[in-house]
Amino acid sequence: MSKDKGLETDPEVLSRIASLNIHATKLVEGLLSGHHRSRHTGSSVEFADYKDYTPGDEIKHIDWKMVAKTDKHQIKQFEQSTNLKATILLDTSGSMGYLSPNPKTMNKMDYARTLVASLSYLFLKQYDAVGLSLFNESLINHVPPRSKPSHFKHILYELAALSPSGVTKIEDVIQSIVERLHGRGIVIIVSDFLTKESSIEKKLKLLVSRGLEVIIFHILDSDEVSFPFNGDIIFESLEDDPPIELDPVDIRETYQRAIQDQITYYRSHCAKLGIDYIFLETSTPLEQGLTYYLLQRKNLGKL
Amino acid sequence: MNFNFISPLFLFGFIGITIPILIHLMTRRQKKHLHFSAIHLLLQSKNRSIRQSRPNRKFLLLIRCLGIALLSLAMANPIFSMGGSNNLGTNGPSATVFILDDSYSMGTQTNQKSYYNQAVKTLLDINNSLPTKSIYSVVLGSSPSRVLLNWTTVSEKAKNTLKSSRPTSRTTEIGAAIKKSLLLLEEVPQKNKIIYILTDRDKNGWNEKEFSSIVATKSHKFFIVDFSEMRDGINKAAVEHAEVQQEFLSNNRVIKVKVKTANLSQSKSISKLKVSLWVNDKEQTKESLDIPVNSSIDKEFSFPMQTHNLINGEVRIEDDALLKDNLRFFSYQPDQTIKTLVVDGNPNTVEHRGETFYLERALNPFTSPLSDIQLTLSTLAELPKRNLLDYSVIILCNAYNLPFGYEQELEKFVLRGGALFITLGNQVNSKFYNERLGNILPVFLKSVHQAQKSDEPFRLLIKPSKHPVLKIFKGQTLEEMKSIEFQSVYSVEPRVNSKFTTPIVLSNKLPALIESTVGKGKVILFLSSIDRDWNNFPIQPTFLPWIQRWVKYSANGLDSLIQKNLLVGDPFNWENPPKGNKAFIVAPDGKVIAPHYVDGKITFRNTFTPGVYQLYRNSRTSSSESNTLVPSRLSFGAQSVGAFTVNINPIESSSIKISNKEIRSLLPKANLTFSSGNNKFTLTKTNESIPLFTYFILLLGAMLLLEGWLVRNE
Repeated sequence: MSKDKGLETDPEVLSRIASLNIHATKLVEGLLSGHHRSRHTGSSVEFADYKDYTPGDEIKHIDWKMVAKTDKHQIKQFEQSTNLKATILLDTSGSMGYLSPNPKTMNKMDYARTLVASLSYLFLKQYDAVGLSLFNESLINHVPPRSKPSHFKHILYELAALSPSGVTKIEDVIQSIVERLHGRGIVIIVSDFLTKESSIEKKLKLLVSRGLEVIIFHILDSDEVSFPFNGDIIFESLEDDPPIELDPVDIRETYQRAIQDQITYYRSHCAKLGIDYIFLETSTPLEQGLTYYLLQRKNLGKL
Repeated sequence: MNFNFISPLFLFGFIGITIPILIHLMTRRQKKHLHFSAIHLLLQSKNRSIRQSRPNRKFLLLIRCLGIALLSLAMANPIFSMGGSNNLGTNGPSATVFILDDSYSMGTQTNQKSYYNQAVKTLLDINNSLPTKSIYSVVLGSSPSRVLLNWTTVSEKAKNTLKSSRPTSRTTEIGAAIKKSLLLLEEVPQKNKIIYILTDRDKNGWNEKEFSSIVATKSHKFFIVDFSEMRDGINKAAVEHAEVQQEFLSNNRVIKVKVKTANLSQSKSISKLKVSLWVNDKEQTKESLDIPVNSSIDKEFSFPMQTHNLINGEVRIEDDALLKDNLRFFSYQPDQTIKTLVVDGNPNTVEHRGETFYLERALNPFTSPLSDIQLTLSTLAELPKRNLLDYSVIILCNAYNLPFGYEQELEKFVLRGGALFITLGNQVNSKFYNERLGNILPVFLKSVHQAQKSDEPFRLLIKPSKHPVLKIFKGQTLEEMKSIEFQSVYSVEPRVNSKFTTPIVLSNKLPALIESTVGKGKVILFLSSIDRDWNNFPIQPTFLPWIQRWVKYSANGLDSLIQKNLLVGDPFNWENPPKGNKAFIVAPDGKVIAPHYVDGKITFRNTFTPGVYQLYRNSRTSSSESNTLVPSRLSFGAQSVGAFTVNINPIESSSIKISNKEIRSLLPKANLTFSSGNNKFTLTKTNESIPLFTYFILLLGAMLLLEGWLVRNE
């Protein structure tokens, strides 16, 4: 209830939800060209509950047998079930909160939010269950996967309310969440992967070994790739690193090489593990990123 | 170990370091703060990156600052010294006595500045480097030494006093100055006691006798700064002596000036040195002299006397590095009378039988104003009352002996230039003459030779002579002299190593007259009597010119003021000044001085300026009796009564310098450091200290190269 209360009271969060909602639905409606086809065929729509008829409800859903027995107009409620459960792991560490001094595009966090909202909407639209886990050095919030359309509202709320903070520790988070993920499903990790951890690929391997389909969205701000700064700058960490004073010109090339090495590292390891790895710069239009993803999945026969 | 600066003012150049710092700050890019995500990657990249322009800029700034600092340090002339003693400065407040040699040799010019000026500048430079709360004093090192500045701190007034000071005409006297300095240092409580001796190290200024009583301990630090090493110009020659003589025998009254000129060089002879004689500011005559290495030659100048006034003149030689010794003053009062004292050794109540009857008439045949020989008669008993310095000639006639101890007075008189004419007779005690007058007489008196009555008397060996006195006796006059008869003469025997001449001899080869030179004076011994007892010469017509010429010849132009040629600092003794405080002295600078009378005599000591001092008898009495230096005016009608000259002591011109070793032997216990003052007024310690100017300049060059390399690579 508190969430609902929050939903109603925080105008900033509300406006962010509205924006996300519009953005995500618009994106997905425009892109979705066919039905979602699950790899796993599942059971049919299951009965869930009765509810009193109210004007506006569809007449076809009235359970006439109940009317005959009890003389009350009851509407049958069904819970649509699916075998596809998607869990989106969204990195909310400090580094995700990077704001460019010369913003030309959406910032990294908003980009990630919109992406997650779009993906959630996409899953829900196709009656797949989608859950959201927010993490930094540990899991800080978890919305279990549901397939109800109204679940989208909860996801949107979590996305809107989050604020980036803390240190990125993906390895620990994967270690802790892997126990919660039952059965087969999809794990989508949205992060900038700016972490000092060195054995993430082992944890990804763990996920894959559990039969989970893993998709990685590696999001970086354009500044983080090109390092376009000039002049004497004291760089202060968004996480827990000490500040560092340097002339960006001196290290630009080295830095660019380092970040490219990192991208290459993830791409190669993901390919080895059969993980979908999508690298997105914030300068890349989100539609383009999503299209690319959907096309890739379609080609692979996953859609 | 010590590190000191000669010109510490240049250390203000350190302020220049602010220039590169300011430029660095002004051109520095503003530091921005930026929150960034991939700090660990930045750190990795920084560690991997070779290129580091930021530290380079700081390094450049450091190098530029260092460059300016090195330049300032180099210009400040740093000196590094090993050993325990402090060099220029001290660790704490110090008491420093500067012995500033202001003798005339310090006036030697080098690079258009004198040693003295450079010494003063060095003194001021050292003063600037003294620690705060230090005091200093300045003692002048010429004779007599005196305190120019008593204990004072560094102040403008003291600086101005030093800057306005000039080298004097005195000689150096370092020993006395050190004594005075040590006394000054005893007065103050400071533990750091330093004595700087700023001198040209003329050897004559370091008198061993003075140093024997100096007690300098290790606690006194002596810095001896030699300015003669800066010598550019050379003090080639000096006029050492100039003396005036008047030729009385010639009718045209010729003045003769004997000049002694020295070549001071130890290695080069002088050719064609121009020597000129100036009288009353007009050049009379000039000569060119060739002087061999390290020797001096005498030259006699003569010029006709044209006026009867006082002659003030000077001898000049051409300019060299030291001007003061190129000039020597003389003065002379011509037309003076020859004051002659005739001592009668055998007075007689009958006038014409007196020993001096004929002599007196021969020397002063007319009324006294017409004669240039002024005669004073005296007996032996009156002799001690006479002041011999008042006379030019003394004629001792047939004296038995002299008053007790008077032979020394006579000797002094002759040594100073007086003429002594001795005539003999029956009263003479030959034993006394032989024993007591050994320093004056070149011969022993042996016995009286008498011509027997039956025999011919002794006669003069007549022949024409070139002797200045006798050369006019020729022809008829010479023939007349043949009639002179000598009954008795003394026979003599030469003393060992004595020099004399016998211008007149008798026909039997016995000498009749013996002439010798003693000191500046002459001694003439006539071996017979000057009256008619032993010969008939006094009544011969040739006697008058003969005796007059001998007196004039021997007189040598002495005036009454014997001490007429003094050296700087010598007191002038005026034995018979005008009575009633009417004496005045006009110094060479025109200042009129009323000298102080003591017991009717004047001893004038302020003779520190070379030149001619004129003596006057004022018509009015001096208003100030006590103060000898108050300038006053000569009243109208003041009468000149003579003059005396003061000249520099030529010993100071000598180019012989005292060595470090000799100074160490003079001050065996003192803590000595030897330095030299060069053209840049830097003090370079010759023994222990190392000048760092060159090293700093080299380091600066290296810094500039490094800076250029860094800028090129940025």
